[in-house]
Amino acid sequence: MATGPLRFRTPHIEELPTTGSRQAPGFAWVAVSGAQDDPAKNWGTSNRKRARASLGGPTDQQREALSARQQREVERKIRDLNSDNSKNAAELPIPKKEGGAGASTVARAGKTPNTKKILGSGKTFAHYLDDEEAEIARTGRRDVDVEAPTGAQRPSKTPLARRKTREESSMSGSPAPITPVAPPALPRISQALSFGETTTLDAEEEGDDAVPPLPSSAEMEALLNAPPLTYSQARSAPPTPGAPPPRRFCETCGYWGRVKCMKCGAMTCSVSCKEEHDQSKCLKMYA
Amino acid sequence: MARQKPTTTTPLSSSAPAPNRTLILDNGAHTLKAGFSTPTTTDREPNAATDSHTIPNTIARSHRDKRTYIGPELADCADFGELAFRRPVERGYIVNWESEKAVWERSLFGFEGRGEGAVLACEPQETSLVLTEAPNAPAVLQRNADEMVFEEFGFGGLFRTTAPALCAYAPSPFPSTASSSPSGLPLECLLVIDAGHSHTTITPLYHGRPLHTACRRLEVGGKTITNQLKELISQRTFDVRREDWLVGEIKEDVCYVSQSFNQDLEKVWRGGRYDQRSSTNDGSSNNDIVVDYVLPDYETIKRGYPRPHDAGVNVRNRALGIGTGAGGRREHILTIGNERFVAPEILFTPSDIGMQSEGLCGTVLQALNTLPSAALREAFLANVVVVGGASLMPGLVGRLEAELRSTVDEAVLVRVARAGDPVKYAWLGGARMARNEEVMREVVVTRGEYFEQGDLWVRRKFAGKVGR
Repeated sequence: MATGPLRFRTPHIEELPTTGSRQAPGFAWVAVSGAQDDPAKNWGTSNRKRARASLGGPTDQQREALSARQQREVERKIRDLNSDNSKNAAELPIPKKEGGAGASTVARAGKTPNTKKILGSGKTFAHYLDDEEAEIARTGRRDVDVEAPTGAQRPSKTPLARRKTREESSMSGSPAPITPVAPPALPRISQALSFGETTTLDAEEEGDDAVPPLPSSAEMEALLNAPPLTYSQARSAPPTPGAPPPRRFCETCGYWGRVKCMKCGAMTCSVSCKEEHDQSKCLKMYA
Repeated sequence: MARQKPTTTTPLSSSAPAPNRTLILDNGAHTLKAGFSTPTTTDREPNAATDSHTIPNTIARSHRDKRTYIGPELADCADFGELAFRRPVERGYIVNWESEKAVWERSLFGFEGRGEGAVLACEPQETSLVLTEAPNAPAVLQRNADEMVFEEFGFGGLFRTTAPALCAYAPSPFPSTASSSPSGLPLECLLVIDAGHSHTTITPLYHGRPLHTACRRLEVGGKTITNQLKELISQRTFDVRREDWLVGEIKEDVCYVSQSFNQDLEKVWRGGRYDQRSSTNDGSSNNDIVVDYVLPDYETIKRGYPRPHDAGVNVRNRALGIGTGAGGRREHILTIGNERFVAPEILFTPSDIGMQSEGLCGTVLQALNTLPSAALREAFLANVVVVGGASLMPGLVGRLEAELRSTVDEAVLVRVARAGDPVKYAWLGGARMARNEEVMREVVVTRGEYFEQGDLWVRRKFAGKVGR
């Protein structure tokens, strides 16, 4: 929608990506200190500040593209927003349970070697995530998704006659509900999807009035048995390129940002807010 | 469906009896929801309000009285100012087991006499644990959780699942189908939007089992909104960056999701230099948005509260002697205007803070577009349940429904409902599931099995890849 940042109702203007076309603005607020964004006028200037702030490019989209430094700033801000611990948390030590018996120190450290390792490790989530991605990159799969381990790998204690293979156990074909599961598995999404696609040709119906039937149980089983996504795969995707550009707000009061400070690139909504920005918040020195 | 147990047990199987009590523990990033449930069918239905306890899942240190509060001890804290928090759950998964163990010990094991929240004396050997985690967990964290539960705490049995999957067993929040879901059986099609503390996940469930290709996660949660609110308030009024608890309370009291963002923003604008808009309390339309929040000082005012904006309050207070400190009550007031709805807006438009991600509605559509059949999509759109603490914000459900409605085809029915008690919904589902003995027998892994089969087998069993 284009009704946001401007006070006037502008029609929906969509920019077609043509190379080198110059967008003639219908109506745009220009900063009071009024510098041009045309890179042609910046070629000879020693005013690197202006060139850097304008970021070149004739179209709005190119101007919106953030420089690498700004992108790093944004990512740092998002990481801070999503940080779990308080800023002043540092390391809060766990106080010992007072009055514990002599077993308290043993209990603190962990009863078995595995738990000792877990309790003592200082790994954060980022470490675990990196480990998992490294493992996937290295071996191409996660350990849970492997087929049932062969005898050489793990001596199974179940007698051969009683072993069930994976297909038999999971595709038993009964339509009754199986209880919920929490599986992390391999990224074979494309495989599962293509399987689903080809078999739903008969399930899709064209009737606008009739409710299309749900896919058959075999297809549902295929969908359900698809391996779960990894942490990174399950993340929501970035917006499509055709989406409206991110909205900017005034730094001082929070209204729409309509006026961009030429020195630091921050947006304010009006002259009074801009003055306040210049006095206290503007980064007059380039860091 | 009951899988047939082998009629003759293998000689190495567990000889200990199956545990008779089940502890349902919804291990969230913000709070733990814990309570017992037994499979006796003569008992009444589990009641979320009375059977489960909500325990803050954090370790907090107060610099003012130099005390550290772990888990349920936070209820004893009198002064929440500048309280520093450390959470064992990071991004939805238990990462720091040392802290988590401390919290569990205080809240689950023989913790007596500390108020209503903590009488959860639990004997681990005789109890099965139903533990929830966030979807799409890294495998190492799952292994760590299994090892800790069995080896360190010594529980008799474990069923580890994702929190949305348990929601399928809870009573349906839609009024038309509420009567037809008996305890212990999952709903058929359910799209669970878990707006939690760390993030928001979208999980379509079919008969209680998640469709993995369609699970999505939006990295904006209650924590993000609180931090964004902290930033906004700190930039405009005074610095509250170290006051996590206070801003959390402000968010709960005052924030809402606006149904028409542009209009609300117009209402609260103070106007440019050449275009003054009045923001005084003369009955104009922005009067109901701007509020004055009275801050607690933990001596006389224990809990902050909002009240409608009063522009002349400072002058009056000075005249009346309030706030001068000489005598009488001191009142610090924080004026909150558009932050009320701008901060929660990042849930619907994460690009406002620069996050490269579609909003909640867009993520739902992404998740559904991976499903091959239109019928499935319609089925899920008609059964959307919003759970989680962040869904308590007023206006969230309405806004989500309006956005979905406007993006989706007209003929498709869109029903979005918020669970009756969003914080405890997953717990309620787990409690109802635990009352069904058959189901529990199938999924719970007992301690003997864990030691016999190993952690990889256990993980694959929870993944549904190993039958019995």
